Formats: sequence, structure tokens, C-alpha cells
Amino acid sequence: MRQEAYFCTVKELNELGKDKIPQQLISHTHLIYSSPATLAFNSPGAEGFGVKRAGLAVPDSIMLIVSPGCCGRNTSVLSSMRAYHDRFYYLLMDETDIVTGRHLKKIPKAVAEICEELEKKPSVVMICITCVDALLGTDMERVCHKVEEYTGIPVRPCYMYALTREGRKPPMVHVRQSIYSLLEPKKKKGNVVNLLGYFSPLVDDCELYDLLHGAGIKTIHEISRCRDYAEYQTMSEANFNLVLHPEARFAAEDFHDRLKIPYIELRRLYQIDKIASQYRAFGAALGVEFDDEMPRKAAEDVVVKFKEVHPDAAFAVGEWMNGDPFELALALVRYGFHVPEIYGTLSGENFIYVKQLAQISPETKVFSNLEPTMLYYDGSQSGVNLTIGKDAGYYHKECPNVRWNEERQPYGYAGVRRLFESLAEV
Amino acid sequence: MRGLRKYLTPFAPDQSGAVSVLYEFGGIIVICDAGGCTGNICGFDEPRWFESKSALFSAGLRDMDAILGRDDRLVAKLADAVTKLDAKFAAIIGTPVPAVIGTDYHALKRMTEKKVDLPILTVDTDGMELYDKGEEKAWMELFRVFAGEKEEVIPNKIGILGMTPQDISDLRAADRIRERFAAEGKTAVCYGMGNGLDDVKKASSVEKNIVAAPAALEAAKYLEQTYGTPYEIGYPLVDELLCDMNYHGKKVLIVQQQVTGNAIREEILKKAPDVQVTVASWFMMKPEIRRDEDLHLRDEEDYIKLVENGAYDVIYADPCMARMTPKFEGTFVDTIHFAVSGKLVTVEAAKDSKELKEPGKLKESKKQEK
Repeated sequence: MRQEAYFCTVKELNELGKDKIPQQLISHTHLIYSSPATLAFNSPGAEGFGVKRAGLAVPDSIMLIVSPGCCGRNTSVLSSMRAYHDRFYYLLMDETDIVTGRHLKKIPKAVAEICEELEKKPSVVMICITCVDALLGTDMERVCHKVEEYTGIPVRPCYMYALTREGRKPPMVHVRQSIYSLLEPKKKKGNVVNLLGYFSPLVDDCELYDLLHGAGIKTIHEISRCRDYAEYQTMSEANFNLVLHPEARFAAEDFHDRLKIPYIELRRLYQIDKIASQYRAFGAALGVEFDDEMPRKAAEDVVVKFKEVHPDAAFAVGEWMNGDPFELALALVRYGFHVPEIYGTLSGENFIYVKQLAQISPETKVFSNLEPTMLYYDGSQSGVNLTIGKDAGYYHKECPNVRWNEERQPYGYAGVRRLFESLAEV
Repeated sequence: MRGLRKYLTPFAPDQSGAVSVLYEFGGIIVICDAGGCTGNICGFDEPRWFESKSALFSAGLRDMDAILGRDDRLVAKLADAVTKLDAKFAAIIGTPVPAVIGTDYHALKRMTEKKVDLPILTVDTDGMELYDKGEEKAWMELFRVFAGEKEEVIPNKIGILGMTPQDISDLRAADRIRERFAAEGKTAVCYGMGNGLDDVKKASSVEKNIVAAPAALEAAKYLEQTYGTPYEIGYPLVDELLCDMNYHGKKVLIVQQQVTGNAIREEILKKAPDVQVTVASWFMMKPEIRRDEDLHLRDEEDYIKLVENGAYDVIYADPCMARMTPKFEGTFVDTIHFAVSGKLVTVEAAKDSKELKEPGKLKESKKQEK
């Protein structure tokens, strides 16, 4: 038996095309390997912003997790964080609940009991339900409506349906809809914009803030910067939304349908020229011309400086970081670096980067973190000397690693600049 | 309200218990879930997962797999994995999803055995029971499948059953047990923590078994019935858990898994026969080792009322429970239980407990105002 991790080069992948991606790289066709490199995939609640944490993005909200005990078990990791202390509650289900659905009748009283003991009434109670209720076909909208009637407090559903992870509306898409669903229509203000997509703010020195201010925008809302519920409600005054993460598209469409706020979608990129052209297109849509010369120059300078110091940098790029591993790998190769390995989940959407990589770095190997043979991954002959992403760091413990998974979101030129500054420090 | 938790996060579920038993035996472990349960086990309930690579997989179930009951797909995925991985057996561990759709584990086992040339274990956990239930099933399945023919008993070879991080909360405990027994000229076989499948196969060669957790009691009985191996119940390292203080005339509450609780009680009674000790547990309370005054706790309210009305002087319990009873004025002895808090006994905690044992240095109750 060959104890070797499966991979495919980008050249091979490009020749196969996006409709013939090997099964080893498609997660639902095989058992899913579980290693620290895949924890974020297997347990989105365990690290970063999963459904549970994201569901509490609304200021002063609390969450009742209605589920078998196993679904709430690792929430104690979150509960130990000061921001989430006393914000998670649990209503545990047993076998009889599954058969009779009686747990649903207990929810109004449970919410009332919790709220009675709180010093401050919560702004909203998120009811988090899991795979079990997905299979039972629970109408959680109706249950939430009943709880609202019983308690007089806004209540919203939060679907932690791991079963639908690869469906049309995965849990992380749904939760983004849920957290904005409390906004009430308000009079629009032409100089207000919302940034949608992340549950923590962009890095403070992101040029996007300056560019928007330069275009006459006075107020830029991000849910994570809202100090209280009243400020959160002012998000419905926005003239338009900027969608920075594709999983916020459904939420943006909701904004459009319900609050008549249109949206523009921007991507997080690490190719400087593509960032520039994205800003040009964005400016054209707004009817302005952005002056992005300075931040662009700053990003370019940092890349050049890093290249001077580390001309032989050979990267392993993982997916457990703030970026698309294929786009970041493409950026690195275009900057003149070597990228021997990528650990990522291929989809039709990011196959475009594989095509481009195949032209300029055909031998780059693509591994799937989730494939069973990753148990045998051995990077000793990979030639990698620098890694980006927590997963890449796990595979190459001997190499310097930039995790690049901080909660403050890197974006635009500032993201590129900060990434290379971090790389220079390790 | 029954089932409502305001202070404590849910305890380790049965599927985590089953994995905890099987983790070190060199098999492919497949959690029959959509991914979240595996993440819970790996990222939280199985502390050994961070220390070494393991063949632990999620079945990666999707909604249509569950709706259509596509067990054949799981079997095909497992059969494919077996061709690529070195493994001594394959174990399929249940979760709420197969429980809801009524998966037939016997059928699944038979289907898998036809396609996979390895011993197959299935554990019908459902994520709604607690870890000890899952452990009990896994211990039984393990010994039923692997314990071989009756072998000659080797004098001074002692089997320790029930050693899992969930029950013992200390990843180095098994090493210390082996050292202690070695010092007495004996060999301790700690199944599942340092001793592997070969030792399970030779389970009949031990002189006796020591049962360190109630979840392993059924397995001990099975080994007694099958091979005539006698067993005792107790925890060899109980002295490490004991807080040295004057217990005379006091009322003590111990909240732990039953065997550990009983072992602490025995030690306290040796020091002060006039002490009143109640052992309570969130987990299984085996009638054969339960005293009349012992209690099973189900909901938070049970514990809060017990402490409020019990007039206890000393409580041995996991530190995460201290905040539930802020008015308790006695001595709270931190007795970490991984299945409750997800915390392990650390070097710092061990140091703390040593300080506790020094007379006159009793640590004050760790009250945390809510």
C-alpha cells in the first residue's frame, strides 16, 4: 500500500477542466479526513466565526441552542470568551423530543425564563437549531413568531444545518440573512454605506475607508463596529451595500427586496493590478474616480522589498486563511515567487485561477485537506520554505508560517501590504 | 425547566465517549455525520487528536444521503478509504442524523463486512445520551470483537479498564499507573491509553481487572463471565485527587463519575469515619456501587437545590460548576472532569492541588459571582 497523499498538478487539473475535477478533490465523494488542518471545515463553530458566533453579531443579542447535547458541546470554547459570556443558552433534546416534537413547545417558556434572569433585556434572541430539526422539517419561522408573541422580544432563527453545507443556501449564507433581518425600513441617506460579508471589521488602515470617504460617503457601517442595537438599526439608512464576501449575497438581496437598498459586490484579491481594476470598475459604477495611487504604491513597494530579501521564497498556501488559496497562489507566482503546493477546495468559481496558474506554474500541486490520504502527507521533499494559512503551517511545522487568519479582515491593497509585512517578520 | 442549561455547556455526548475508547487502537473511525459532530469530537472532546495524526473521518453526509437513506454510499466511501489506508479495523460511530433516519447498524455492519476485509465495529450512539453510554457500548464491542481465545494467566499482570481522557481527565495518568504498578513488580495494562489492540486480544491473560470508570463495568463483567477474570472497582491514583484537610464531622459532596467519586469517598472515610459523604453524578450511577445517599443529577436545578439545601462543608466538583452556587461558603475542591468542562488536569492544576494538600493552605472556595 502506497502511503502517499493524493495530489494533482494545476496543469493536470486545467487539462481535465472544471467539469472533470478528480473525485479525490471533491469532498462529498469520499470520507472526510479530520486533522487540525480541517477543523474549521468540520466544525465551523470551533474556530473563527461559525454559525453560533455569527448569529450573535447583532449587539446585545443572546442565543438559545435547541439541539441534542452534542451540537452545543464545543460552545464552551466560545463561552469562555468575554464577549460571549452569558450569551449562550441550551435546550437539550432527547429521543422523545425527536419523536414527538415536544421540544418546540418548550422554547417560548425557556426563552422567557432566560430573559427573566437577565439584568438587561436582549435585543434579539437567536434560536439555533441543527441537523435534527432540518430532518424533522421544523418550521422555525413559525416557532420564532410564537416565541415573540409569548415574550415580546424579537426572535430569529439560526440554522446550523451541517447537512446543507454544500447546498444552495448553506448555514453561513443563511445566518448572514438572519442577522440583518431585524432591520426596519428607514429614510435613506445618500452618504451612508454598509459593508456586508464579515463578522469582524476590516483592518483599520484599509484604503477602502478612505476611498469611500473621498467619494463623499460620511458613514460606513459594519455590523461588528455597531456599539449597540440603535446603531445597528441605522444600517437601514444606507444608500447602498458593498458585499465583500460572496456568502453575503443572499443577505444583500434581502436588503434590496425588503429595504430597497441595492448592492455592489467586490472580491478580496491579492493581485495588485486586479485590485486596481476592481476599484476602477467600482468607481465607474458610482460615477467617481478613486485616487488609489498611494495605497497601491505602498503595497507594490512592500512586495518588491520582500522579493529583494527573499528571492527564493517557495510558498505552501493553505485555505485556512483570509483569502482564496488559488487566487493568492496566483498572485504570488505573478510576483515572481515559487508556489509548490496549495491545499484547497476547488470549485467552479475558483477554477479560473487554476487556468491561469497552469500557464505560469504548471507543476504546482493541489491537495485537498479533506482527502483521506492526507493522513500520509509528507512535505519533506516539497521544496516549501514559507507557508501561509494555519493548515499549511500544520503540514510544514519546520517552516516559518504566517497564519493569516486574524479576525480583523485584510482587504485590498492594505491586505497585500500587511501580508507581506507579516511574511517579512517570520 | 427540564433540559434548559443556563450555566453549563452540554456534557460530552455518547459519540465522543465511543471515540474516546477506540481512539488508540489503530482503526479507521468513521463518524456517521455531516461534519459538525466530527469537529466537536476532534476540536474539543478528544484531546489526543492534537497530539498525533489519527484515522478519524467524517462520513460527510449530505441532506439527500439522509433523506434517501443512502447507506451504500457510506459503505462505498469506507471501502475506498480502506484501500488507501493501513488499519486494523473500521468503526462506524452513530450521531443524531442516523438516529433520526433510523439507521440499522446491524445491517450497516453486514453491508460493510461484505465490501471491506476488516473487522467492523458499529456503535449506535445518537448524540443525545452522555459520553459514558457511548463508552460502555464501545468497550463491550471492542472486547466482544477482539478478545481472543482464553490464554494462560500471567501473574502480576493487571488490566485497567475505563481509562479514557473523558473519565480520567489526565493524559499522563496511564503512565503514572504503569509506573506505580511497575514499582510493585506488576504490569499494568491500561486499555485505550498506551496499550493497544494486541493487549485487548490477550485480555484473558491478566490476573485481574481494575475498573476505573462505571462505563467499563459491563466490559469487566463480560470478561469475568467469558474468561473468569475477576475485577475490582477503584481508581489507582485516587490519592492525587484528595484534598488534605480536617474532615471530622463535616458534610461532603462529591460530583464526579461514580467510580472516582466512590474512590474519593473511601479515602475521606479512612481519614475521618464520622464524615458524611454523598456521591452525586451527572452520569451513570451503577446500582451495585451506589449507596442509598448517592444521587443522580440531571438538570442544573438538581445540583443548585442540592447545594442550597444540603448544608455541605466541602464540595468536590469540576471548577466550572462553582458559578452555579455563588452563595456556597464552604470549601470547593477543584476536581476536573473532562466530560463536564472539557478541561484536562494540567501541570498548573496539579500544582494547585498539591498546594491544597498542604495543611493550613486550603484554597478558598472559588466562587464566581454570576
